[in-house]
Order: sequence, then structure tokens, then C-alpha cells
Amino acid sequence: MERRSNTGFPSRRSLWIAFLLAPATIIMLAFVVWPLLSAFQLSFYRFDGLKPGEFVWFENFYKVLFQWPFAEATYNALWHNVVVFFTLMVLENGVALLIAYALLKEMPAHRVHQVIIFLPVVLSAVIVGFLWKLLLHPLFGAVNAALGLFGIMGPAWLGNESTALGSIVFANIWHWIGFPTLVLLAGMQRISREVLEAARLDGAGDWTILTRIVWPLIAPSVTIVTILTFIGAFNWFELPFVMADMEGSPAHSTDVLALYFYRTAFGSITSGIQDFGQGSALAVLMFILVAVITFFALRFLRSREIEI
Amino acid sequence: MAGASVQAAGRAAGVPTYRGESFKNGAIQALLWLNALIMLYPLLIMVMSSFKTNAEIFTSPLALPRSLTLNNLSKVWNETSFLQYLGNSLLVTSASVLLILIVGTMAAYAIARYRFRFSGLLLMFFLSGMTVPLKLAIIPLFLQLNTLGLLNTRLGLVLVYTAMGIPSAVFIMTGFLRALPTELEESARIDGASEFIIMWRVMLPLARPAMVIVAIQNAVPVWNDFFFPLILITSDELKTLPQGLTVFMGEFVTDWGVLFTGLTLAALPVTIFYILLSRQFIAGLTQGAIK
Amino acid sequence: MTLGKHARRILLGGIALGMLASSPAFAGELTFWTWRQEDKATYQEIFKDFTAKNPDITVKVEPLPDNTYPTQVATGLAAGKGADVIQTHAYGWLEQFVKANYFEPLDKTNVPNLANFGPDALSALSFRGDGKVYSLPYATMTLGLFVNKDVFEKAGLTPPTTWDEFITVSKALKEKGIIPLANGLGTSWFNEMFVSAFTGPFLGPDFAAKLSKGETTYKDPLYAGALSRLLELRDYMPPNFEGVDYETAGQLFLTGRAAMLAGGSFDIANYRQLNPAINMDFIAPPAKQAGDPPRPSTFFDGGYAVNAASPNKADALKLVNWMGSPEFGNKFSNMLGNISPIQGVDIKDPILHHVADMNKTSMPHLNVVYFRFAKPTGSELIQANITKMMSGEIKPEQVGAAMTDGIATWFEPFKGK
Repeated sequence: MERRSNTGFPSRRSLWIAFLLAPATIIMLAFVVWPLLSAFQLSFYRFDGLKPGEFVWFENFYKVLFQWPFAEATYNALWHNVVVFFTLMVLENGVALLIAYALLKEMPAHRVHQVIIFLPVVLSAVIVGFLWKLLLHPLFGAVNAALGLFGIMGPAWLGNESTALGSIVFANIWHWIGFPTLVLLAGMQRISREVLEAARLDGAGDWTILTRIVWPLIAPSVTIVTILTFIGAFNWFELPFVMADMEGSPAHSTDVLALYFYRTAFGSITSGIQDFGQGSALAVLMFILVAVITFFALRFLRSREIEI
Repeated sequence: MAGASVQAAGRAAGVPTYRGESFKNGAIQALLWLNALIMLYPLLIMVMSSFKTNAEIFTSPLALPRSLTLNNLSKVWNETSFLQYLGNSLLVTSASVLLILIVGTMAAYAIARYRFRFSGLLLMFFLSGMTVPLKLAIIPLFLQLNTLGLLNTRLGLVLVYTAMGIPSAVFIMTGFLRALPTELEESARIDGASEFIIMWRVMLPLARPAMVIVAIQNAVPVWNDFFFPLILITSDELKTLPQGLTVFMGEFVTDWGVLFTGLTLAALPVTIFYILLSRQFIAGLTQGAIK
Repeated sequence: MTLGKHARRILLGGIALGMLASSPAFAGELTFWTWRQEDKATYQEIFKDFTAKNPDITVKVEPLPDNTYPTQVATGLAAGKGADVIQTHAYGWLEQFVKANYFEPLDKTNVPNLANFGPDALSALSFRGDGKVYSLPYATMTLGLFVNKDVFEKAGLTPPTTWDEFITVSKALKEKGIIPLANGLGTSWFNEMFVSAFTGPFLGPDFAAKLSKGETTYKDPLYAGALSRLLELRDYMPPNFEGVDYETAGQLFLTGRAAMLAGGSFDIANYRQLNPAINMDFIAPPAKQAGDPPRPSTFFDGGYAVNAASPNKADALKLVNWMGSPEFGNKFSNMLGNISPIQGVDIKDPILHHVADMNKTSMPHLNVVYFRFAKPTGSELIQANITKMMSGEIKPEQVGAAMTDGIATWFEPFKGK
């Protein structure tokens, strides 16, 4: 039904399509593509504080990856991101899987549970972070007060190097667990009842059903949850920023790549000096890391998915 | 008997049960309620503490407030720009969501309903935006907005959020629009209707549920974001609520009662919005999960 | 939907977008940026005097949050939307902005009142590269010890002057159930000050002078010795002190639960306001031995700079000049509780007067003054390592070594030491 114009002028149809596509394309080009390409470009220049300097090839990358003390900070932060990712996979997604299965049984009040568990998800990370910061206060916080009721002297959760990162991860789990729970539940709900019934009648227990039948069949949901957790863990910023501070205190035990990027690029009270060049190099490296791993992870996870 | 009703409920839902399972189900229920408690109790403490004096918070953080002191509330109301921040958030979020819907739906419609060269490529272009963390390009983004004179303006913020929301909007709307049958379209064309009328009157009304999902999925992250305002907004009058909250937490750092009140007030809009629309939220989530 | 409705919607949309794009600006009004949110009202009060003398110029005080202040100033200036007068820190902090040509150089022609300042003050706010002053100094800050006189009296003790006295008094206080020292390590920027306050008396100005030239480094055993004194303090700090932040420590002190608090003179006025009933004094940190002169650590907190790209530069320079006058200095000292370096200022407050006296034998706050010029800054190095030392993870010698090696990457005199 297209009317190909023979005057050489684009047909009405083409103009119409172009009109539909134009705004979105322009906005994306201006505010996504262009900045990303520029970020690549900035990383090749040296910055003296705020003043752009000369083109220095890969000097910024070299500094961030190999030169002490910058490299040490990079790998320290990277390690924390890795730890956070695996902890979240096990504690957040693992528990979410169990809760989703429990909700699948549709016991009384299961809808209420769904609503409750998702409530923290809609709150801002700023609210969650500040709330838990107050609750975890070593002297006046509710958590240590509750422990005190049992005669346990709670530690300085956010001040102690060994407990700080874990405390922030806990707050993250509290915040986000509703999300993988409902996504996995949605995946489970698509499994036909007959399959589950048959397994039951064969005498299979819950654990067997969960691991042998449900788990393989919810592969698409698992893919989504895994990829999103990965991207979230490596771009983790708001919660540590609010609960620790820009330096990843105490003693950089809660430092993660995004925090390190932010204070490198924009400075902080302590390390006041900022360096756009180095910051951009860090950003480029982070982007490549996440993109490459996501690409391969996606391929692997997709191959597991079977058409239901 | 509790056991029988649970079994009956289970059977009704189609999940098979067996004898002796009622005990296990009871245990699972208990754990679920424990989980609900863990989710809700911190929020309860947050609200209760808003009505306590500082001394009360320090000495009895877990108890109910002795009396409902509205002192904290009046402080927040009078001494902070809370209402202004709220207004800015409302303005920025609604404008962003509206723009995302309009622009994203237009693009999705073109890709979904028309066959043309590069349509596949364009779809890929938009979708790839979903994998990109725009935060990392914050420096050039900042410089870009500066060049356009949009720094420290709410419009600049809206455009950034729109750019971030287009990929998922296109993704969802394309999926939805593609699935619509062509008969309605064809017959309208035969009747001589213009493409615009077809889109506006025939196809889009059918896509309303998807548009609601796109709206909710973008409204929440935009409302909650504080990273972009942190860099792109410096004037106090233009700050959004999460950003204002960080300023606020710094100002009243020793006044815990006021801090909790601020948190409660900040959490209130989203919570109300969520409770009213919880069904749509959850539906949107599952829709997005099903590729 | 009719075309009319369409048009109306588009029009409303256009107006809304237009509103979103506008940001307010007024002529004849100077904007002033500061990180002292708590001082906003006082500054506005003081500026009324300026407007009385210059009726066509009003000043709008815009505080920016403390922890993102450098970011917001930098991004604001980069966007060409900086305030007309901007409060700055000193030393290395200032340099990065000067290198990007953001601030107007000040001299006797555009700011005659520079004559009211001594050479130390001016050099703290100058750029090492060209020796010009880029920010008008406003206050020296002193790090010392707050003591709650009432708590001491009730316990039948007197505030300590030497380290040994400090330990004895602390033991006695602890037995009575009072926390001797309120400080914790939860606020990273303050950790540096905590270290400086207590180690100052054990290092002395000679060490500082040698350090600044590179004749000695932080690997000097004198420094490790001073740091190890801090380990003794742990018994007398609050429970879970690693997580106790500076504000909580302040609370403990103000409510009388703790007897002493290492703090800065910048909090004297603040604490008075938070608890007007408190009977406190600000004394020198415990000396090494009896008879030593008081040895608090001091630094110039910052100054007021003029935005080189300001459209109201002439007015801005007028304001900054006025802020160098004894008239401003008096109000500044007495209302904001700071020690103004302006000559001719009369400090009325007895505690501040006391502090000003102490400052005569003070020593510089090492990292802030000498080692904030490049990354890694001395500040970030000490902050990260001191918590490790206090938790027993590393030894004082290792702290000094880490700092020296880090600073050596950009500070020539330290290289190879």
C-alpha cells in the first residue's frame, strides 16, 4: 500500500515515518550517544585540576590501572564490586527464589505479601540509605538497641571495617529483594500446573520440584535477574554514597568503582583535587567491563533458556 | 482446621498438596510473615520516630512515641524548602514521563507498524540504550547541557531523563504495538483516514495498558533519582526531593526527630502512589519480565 | 478530540517547557556561595550593613552542602553560572580553581583592604605559581580540646594540661561513669583534625618546618612516636568509637555524657547555640611535658574569592573589599565565633580571646597546609590509614611510611626517602 513517489521527493509515508522517529532519535543522539563518545575522548587528555591539558594517549588509563596509588584504589574498589555481586546473587536472589516459590503456593494472604515485599523497592535509595544509617548508629540506633535487649553489644556497623560493607549490602537487600522475588514468581507462574501436579503425584518433595523442575523452566527470569544484579552491583553508587561517604570509609572498605569514579572526576573535601581526564578513563574502563561481561553472560544464560 | 483450609486453598490454586504438608505450609507462612515484619518494621520506626523528641529517640528507639509531638513536623514545614523540592520533583517527573511516552510511543509506532529499511537497526539502536549507564558519561553530559544553556534548569534534567527512558519505552511499546492486528488499520485506510488519525484514534487507545506500564516504570526511578540533580542542579529553588533530602540531612544532622520526619515525608508520596496502584506496578514488572 | 483542544494542549505544553527552562536572575544583586549552611542567617544579617553603605547592591546568600561543595562550585564555574563571590578553602584546594582561571587576582588596587592582613594569611590564600592573592582570608581555625567545666567540677577534677595529667584524669572520669573523650572516628575529614590536635604538641613547629622542605618525612621516628600516643586514647573514647561520627561526639559532649572533645574553634559558636547552658572552655591539647608552651594546630580555613567571569565584578570586588575591613571582621568574629586575621579587630568573646592567645605558639595543621596540592593528598592518606592504625591493623610506622610514599609521587623533596 505504499506510494513510491516518482518525483524523487520523499513520499508522504516516508516523511510521516521520519517525523515519528525524529524526536526520540535526536534526543538519544544528543544526550546519550554524543556524551558517551565524548567521554571516550576526554579520557585521552590530561586535566590539570579543572583545566583541560594536552592529548596524552593512554596515560590516564595507565595511571588508573598500573600506577600506585591509583591502581591500588581501582582494584580495591573492583574487588568490592565483585564481592557485592556474588553476595547479592546468593543472599538477595537466592532468598528471592525461595520466597517466590513460597508465594507460588498461593497460600492465604499471598497477595498481601507481594505488596509488602515490593514496597521498599519503590523508595528512593536516598531514603533507604539514610534510614538504615540512622538505624545502624552505634550508640542510638534501633538495631543496637534491639540487640541490647538480648544483652548483646552491637558493633559500630558502619564504622567498623569488617562490618561496613556487609551492612550496606544488607540495606541493599532490604531495599531490592522484592524485585527479583516478583520477577521470578512471574516466571514460575508461567509453568503449567499439570507439570507440577504430575511431579507431586510422583511423590516429589518441594525441594526436588524447585531444583529439578521449576529452576530450569524459569531460566528467562533468571537471566533477567542475573544481568540486572550484575549491572546494579558494578554501578552501585547511591547506597554507599549515602551510608558511607565518597571515600568509601572506613579506610576505603566500602569503596566501589562508581564512588571512586565520582570522587576522581569531581573531587571531595579530602582529595579536593579533581581530574576529569582520569575520571573519564575510569568511566570508559567500567563501561567496557560491564558491556563485555554482560554480552557474554547474556549469551550463556540465553542458551540455557528452553522454549516453554 | 487450618491444615485443611490451607490444603484446600492449595488445591484450588492448582498446586498439589499432600498429607502432612500443612505443617510445612504453616512454617512457610510464619517465615513469610517474619519477612513482612522485617520489611515493615524499619518503616514503622521511621514514622514513629518522627513524633518523638530527640531525647526519646536516643533512650527508647523501639518503643511507641509517648505523645504525638508535631514539633518536628512544624520545623520541617517552616525551616526547609520541602514543599519546593516536592513541587520540583512533581514537575520534573510528570514532564519526563509525558515526554518519554510521547516520543517513545511515536518511535515505537513507526518501528512496529511500518516496514521500512533500517527499522531493525533502529530498534537495536534504541534497545542498546538500555545497557548503557548514562552516569558514566556525566562529565560530557554536563558539558553538553552547558553548551545548550540547559545547565541548572529543570528542562535539562527532563531531557536527560527522557533520553534514559526512551529505550525501555520503545522496547515495551514496540512489543505491544507489533501484536495488534492489522485489520483495523487496513479498514481505516480504506476509509481514507490519514496515518495520523489511524494512529491516534485506532491503534493507540488499544495500547493504553502498555502506556500505563511505561509510565509507572519510568515515574519511579525518575522521582527517586538524585545523582543527576546532584551534578546538574545547583540552585536551591530547583532541587528535587531526593536531592533536597540530602541537603536537609546535612543541615539537621543532630536533630534526629527532624531527620526521621523528613524521611517520612519524602517517602510518603511514592508510598501512597504505590499502594493505590500496586496491581499495575506488579503487572508492569511481570510484563517487562516476559520477553 | 477537536483541533482546538489539540492546540490548547500544545500551547500549555510549550508554556510548561518554557517555565522549565527558565532560572531566576536579578540585577543589582550579588550571589554569595558558602558551605556554612549553619551561618546563612548570620551572614545575611551582616550583609545588611554592606547594603546600608551601598544601597544599590544586595547580597543573596546561597549555601551549598558541605560534602559536595567542591563539586558544585567546580561544575557551576565550568558552566559559567558561578556565584559572584565564592567562599573558598585555602592552600591546595584553592590552586585547582586558580589554575583554571576561575578567580580574579586580588591586589592593593582592587582590594585596598588587603593591607589589613599579615603575610601568613595572604600566602595561605595565594597561588604558588604567580604569588598573587586569589581569595581574601577570613579566619584561622584552631584545633584544640573542648572541656566541660561543670562535669570536671562535679567530678572533683581539673582539666589536664599535660599528657600524663590527661591520662590520669581520664582514668578517674571513666571510673565515675563519664566518657572521658567524646571523639570517634566516624567522620573521615575530622579524623585528620583529631590526629593533628593530639600529635601537635609532640611534633612542634620545627618538625613542621623541616617537613615542609623535605628535610624530614613522615617516616621520621618522631612522627611514629606521636601517632602511638593516640593508641593510648582508645581506652577513653566512647564504646564503638570507630563508628561514632563527629556530630554524635558533639552531642555526647554537649549533653555532659563526655567531659572532653577534641574539636575545632569553628564549632565554638555552634556549640554555644546548641546548648546555651553549657559551661565550657577551649584549651590547648595536652602538652608533652609541664612547662611547654600551648601547641594547638592552626590553619587558615579559607577566604572569599571573586568569580572572574562574574557580570557584576565591580560590585563583587566592593563586597570583598568590605569583607576585609575591621568593621566586617568585628561582626564576623563576634557573631560567627571565628578568629578573624584582620588587624584591628577586637575579639570580645573570652574563649575566642583565649584561643587567639594560644595561636601565638601554634603549629601548622600539617596535611592541610602543605600536602593538599595534588593527588594523593596528605589528607586522604592520613584519613584512610588512621582508622586502620586505631583498629590495630597496622602500626604507626606503617602509617608514616604510607603517607610519605604517597606524597612522594608528586612532592619532589620526599622522593627516594
